[in-house]
Amino acid sequence: MEVVKPVLPDYDQMALKVFMEAISSAGGLKKLIEYRNLTWLPSLAEAAYVVVLKNEATLTDYQIAEKLGITEQTVKNILKADTSKVAEYLQGVAEKVDEHKAGGLAKIAYEKLKAEGRLESEEVTQAEARDIESSLEIEFFWAIQTLRRIKGLDFPAGEGELKERLTGITIKGRRIEELLDKIGYPVKTPAELLHKLKEAAER
Amino acid sequence: MKDAKAGQQEVDYSRYVVDLAYLKGKAPEIAGVPTGTRLDELFFTVVYDEDTGRIVRKPLGGVPKGAVINIVGIPDTGKSVFAEQFAAFQAGNGSRVLFVTTENPAEFLYVSLKQKAAALDLSFKDVERNVVVVDASQEQSLRENTFALVKTMEYAARSRNVDVVVIDSITGLYEHREVMARQIVRIVYNFLKRFHLTTIMVSQKRSSQGSETAEAAGGLAVAHIVDGTVVMDKKLMETKFDVSLYGLPLGSVLRTIRIDGCRVSGHDTDTYIMEINEMGLIEIKEKLSDFVRRKSGIK
Repeated sequence: MEVVKPVLPDYDQMALKVFMEAISSAGGLKKLIEYRNLTWLPSLAEAAYVVVLKNEATLTDYQIAEKLGITEQTVKNILKADTSKVAEYLQGVAEKVDEHKAGGLAKIAYEKLKAEGRLESEEVTQAEARDIESSLEIEFFWAIQTLRRIKGLDFPAGEGELKERLTGITIKGRRIEELLDKIGYPVKTPAELLHKLKEAAER
Repeated sequence: MKDAKAGQQEVDYSRYVVDLAYLKGKAPEIAGVPTGTRLDELFFTVVYDEDTGRIVRKPLGGVPKGAVINIVGIPDTGKSVFAEQFAAFQAGNGSRVLFVTTENPAEFLYVSLKQKAAALDLSFKDVERNVVVVDASQEQSLRENTFALVKTMEYAARSRNVDVVVIDSITGLYEHREVMARQIVRIVYNFLKRFHLTTIMVSQKRSSQGSETAEAAGGLAVAHIVDGTVVMDKKLMETKFDVSLYGLPLGSVLRTIRIDGCRVSGHDTDTYIMEINEMGLIEIKEKLSDFVRRKSGIK
């Protein structure tokens, strides 16, 4: 009887993506500077976390407020912000808006990322990575994937847990499962793992 | 048809419209997934009998395939016994079972399943090989975060090729935040339906809730969302009237089981006598009405 280890979403990464997308939706960082709107950014970071934790972590308003160290009313204001009114304000259609602007912006960004399936996707797609790798004539994407997948894993690590996390990655055209059969255990550190995998792939 | 507010993502509503004919071949078959109890005879479909020219009941031989069935009851009515018996029976007969436990730590679940396998005369090696566990009882991050739980279940379902799921209990995911029950059950239910996973889900009742109803912690949210509810109940013989009506000794317990509703298939609506035998297995006996008639003569 096997017990499966928890798969925990990376909320920090999701909030960061919402934050960056929101800045982009608002016209980019340069536009924020032009309009002297940089004071928004802490509020926007806060709003990005609120929107992600509400929609992706099923936390109550109270739990979100506790986690972020803000008031429950602020959480509510962010979550009830009317996105269409905020969008009109950003486009200059409306001169003033009573909504929580950062909240509305974060919600627009979150919905866009979610609709496009980008909220949980890897920052760089495999196809994009292959293009970069071939232009630079080096291979590194497997190392990034490996480090992401072993995040939170206790070292020294054994064969079983490494295979469970890393299955599906390819290194120089070879399946990582095949390479994991050839390296010595236990693996003491992430750096040692990368080194051993690289050696095994070149053998 | 497309619609867009200023600055917002355009939504293509046409993708939400589906012609019924398009679903041919995609819809799940009507079949039963055996529980190893007489409950299997109480779910049915109707078929045309060519010999008699009449529409007749045909037992499914199990809970409806692909359905999410909620088992609800007050403490000590046999909910977990039933859930474990179902898991052991399915795994012992070759199905891949995902057991999500929020109550009993995995090590203790192992012991329970071993006993169930022995009582059912099934190979524990098969049960051991075919059961995969998500232990949310020991992992607060899974109990508190339904999306993380569903991600973990999805990983287990995909990588271990799971056929059926047991969740004991869903209440463990919102016991201190019942206001979230509807949202949490909806997320779990949507995942289970997306993967067509036949599921037995256990729900606990609160002391203020009628023991014979489908209501559970979180109100009627669970019963409204799931595909069907089975209510387990018990009656303590505590008055002279009870003793006379049920013909049982004072202080003894009478357990019952009833299918409260199922949107996926037809089902029996009577209340049945249920026992947990000395081997720790659920045995569903006669109808309560027949039992009372036999014991007291009351029709």
